[in-house]
Amino acid sequence: MKKTDIPFQATIDQPPVTFPTFKKKKYTHAKSISILIGGAAGTGIKTLETLLSDALRRSGYFVFSTIEYMSRVRGGSNCTLLRISDAPIQAPCWHVDLFVALDEDAIEHVKERLTAQTIVLADESVTDEDIDITPLPMLTTAKELGNVRYANAYVPGVLFGLFGLSAEMLSQGIETLFDGEHLAGNESAMREGFIYAQSLKNLSLPTLPEPTKGLTDTMHLMDGSTASGFGFLAGGCNMITSYPMSPSTAVLNFMASMSQHFTLLVEQSEDEIASLNMVLGGWYSGARAMTSTSGGGFALMSEAMSLSGVSETPAVIYLAQRPGPATGMPTRTEQGDLNLAIHSGHGDFGHIVLAPGDLQECIDYGYLAFEVADRYQMPVVYLSDQYLADTMSMIESVDFEDYEQRRYIQPTEKSYDRYTLNPTAISPRGVPSLGEGLVVSSSHEHDERGQGTESYHVREEMVEKRQKKSSLSVAEAFKPEVVQYGISKKGSIAVIGWGSTKGAIAEVLRELDDDRLFQVHFAWVHPLNPEHLEILKQTKANIIIENNVTGQFADILKSHDVEINHRILQSNGFPFFVDLLKEMLLDTLKEIK
Amino acid sequence: MNYPLDRPGTKKAWCPGCGNFGILKLIEEVLIELALDPKNTVIISGIGQAAKTPYYIDTNMFSGLHGRALPVATAIKASNPALNVIAEGGDGDMYGEGGNHFIHTMRRNPNIVHIVHNNMVYGLTKGQASPTSQKGFESKVQVKGVSSEPLNPISLALALKASFVSRVNIGNQAHAKEVLKEAFLHKGYALVDIFQPCVVFNKVNTYQWFKANTYELESDYDSSDLPAAMTKALENDPIPIGIFYRKAYVTFEEHLRGDEKKALFEHTHDLKMIQKFFNNY
Repeated sequence: MKKTDIPFQATIDQPPVTFPTFKKKKYTHAKSISILIGGAAGTGIKTLETLLSDALRRSGYFVFSTIEYMSRVRGGSNCTLLRISDAPIQAPCWHVDLFVALDEDAIEHVKERLTAQTIVLADESVTDEDIDITPLPMLTTAKELGNVRYANAYVPGVLFGLFGLSAEMLSQGIETLFDGEHLAGNESAMREGFIYAQSLKNLSLPTLPEPTKGLTDTMHLMDGSTASGFGFLAGGCNMITSYPMSPSTAVLNFMASMSQHFTLLVEQSEDEIASLNMVLGGWYSGARAMTSTSGGGFALMSEAMSLSGVSETPAVIYLAQRPGPATGMPTRTEQGDLNLAIHSGHGDFGHIVLAPGDLQECIDYGYLAFEVADRYQMPVVYLSDQYLADTMSMIESVDFEDYEQRRYIQPTEKSYDRYTLNPTAISPRGVPSLGEGLVVSSSHEHDERGQGTESYHVREEMVEKRQKKSSLSVAEAFKPEVVQYGISKKGSIAVIGWGSTKGAIAEVLRELDDDRLFQVHFAWVHPLNPEHLEILKQTKANIIIENNVTGQFADILKSHDVEINHRILQSNGFPFFVDLLKEMLLDTLKEIK
Repeated sequence: MNYPLDRPGTKKAWCPGCGNFGILKLIEEVLIELALDPKNTVIISGIGQAAKTPYYIDTNMFSGLHGRALPVATAIKASNPALNVIAEGGDGDMYGEGGNHFIHTMRRNPNIVHIVHNNMVYGLTKGQASPTSQKGFESKVQVKGVSSEPLNPISLALALKASFVSRVNIGNQAHAKEVLKEAFLHKGYALVDIFQPCVVFNKVNTYQWFKANTYELESDYDSSDLPAAMTKALENDPIPIGIFYRKAYVTFEEHLRGDEKKALFEHTHDLKMIQKFFNNY
């Protein structure tokens, strides 16, 4: 038998990992302006977004951008929101300072988001009785230059011209995005737009915040799918088997692109049932495997979740939520699958649900998903949603070498039994061909060897073993993040959120600057450690903010004897908008004496 | 009855006279005769009487869910191509519940042996029709007899150009062993559909029936001729047994991994390289 070294071999006796801590700059408040751009699907609005946000970043601005799009390949009305700021922002706003309409439908689609102060720029063909429009010859210019899509470079040209920014930044972006005739066409269109903006000097524009020097060296611009993907790589993911489903597919695409550079096996499975069964096959033979899906696909994985539970085979499931039930709204967002994630699978078995709330957490918890799946030999659901997955924002530099690597597999002796009972309840996990033993894994209730059993004594022992393992994951659960705002440093009203609401809640609380309020953000959402909830039992009031109709997490907290006094809920397919959330929170605060 | 590679201390939960005994013996003998190391061999099964088989053979085992052995097996082989991988189950398990995986595993072509115990009836659930039950077969559920066309795994596999397509009759042990050995030696997905009687619930398709209704493919039969194989696959009176078709082509794991064959547990990512890609954003 050849000797095989297991890199980073670890055992359950080691204490749980901790996240690396990176020195981060403290930002107290962000000044920002917002620009909304609307047009039909398939006309290149994503290109426009990329070009603009990248050039803005290189001009020294923090950028946040989120696309709202319809479930279709062509037509409809899509729009992208950009917030340009002097500090990190991780939330959208509803009302905007500037709106650019590429067509007439776009105006109709976003009318409610315009205020009396909103400056509206639109193609000269667009008319509207109620709205004061500044016309731009964008489509004519683009057509004259040879392609109507050049409007996607013309518009950034106009915006850079209006704000007196350097067109060079856009040129650099155009050079990386296009080549051949399209390079020249887009460059000309951008310049035309930039020049045209000089004739619009009488517009009362919002003031752009101050740019930051050296921003590109310290800050990175990406969406949640990409950050999650980097987290999974840091966790050692070397296999992904998935059936494509919006809004999870971007992770599959990212991992597939990385498979060109890393040992990382990618397979598009025939269905989600196969996806998770492949993941289990992978872990059984020593891979670090994951699948990606959304609610409907995850529903099909329920049976294999249960298999992961009883066979104690680790698994990582990336679940990007969209509004259900059933097909629901494929391109929109919601936090409606928390209960599904927690209760998935028949029978009792422990599993972990993680819900990152920003890009840093996407990386940290992506890494952690693999670590804890391996450590406790159980399935781990990583809950994202369409908003977090598709939204671009900025993240400070991360040092990947600081993520501690561990592999909890063991070479086996001839006498090896897969499910040995021991005080930790975690049996050393062998893999086939590593050592002298045989690895016998079973979906049946089984004895220590892995042989099926009908003995009620053995059944009781194994149920207890799995429960004990669950308890260990409770004891080692990661704490919620508690952030105080205002000067008192001891708020009396908790504003609770989980997952992708983190940025919106943070910004609202920063803005309100109300000493009574503090934020409690859960990224480890299941199982909860009761000790971590004590802070919520000493408050005057608890307010929860969730993007679902019932308050799924609120009910879980209630089952842990945490009183939830107010629920701010939404389930319209949108993320929380900071300006609207602020109003909702102020209304709620009026009810608290 | 005990066989040479039986897992010690196990009791076989099959009815006396069950065709599964013959299949168990066959697999153990082939593993021994081909000198396949049990430590490097994994049998993946679903649920059913047939799927109990790996509990009795002393190799690695992953006993999974009804119908789901093939995706598990595919991933095990890809994660560690040095392993000998066998997916095993009955006709209900593999052709019914797992029908979609059956189709797509053949398209993928992992280098695994796929053994299907085909007794044309459900045993563990006590006698209902299976996807391969013959028309008119009566049961407590199919009270008016089966009306659906039986699934023909051989012609289905051929339609998908499966890499190795075979059928044997467990009543004909010598021939069955010869074919199973070839399946193990073949590089690529290998289907071995094994006719076996269920002595309790199928009073029609008995040892005698299989003997009387099958014949070995002629010695000059050309197993590289796909259209000819399809013609043979559609014969049903009597039914041919043997290797219908074989053609080696690039396997799933070769496609994914090229010449790199190390087990994934030996791999780690270069964190500096992750850093490099991250810094590009």
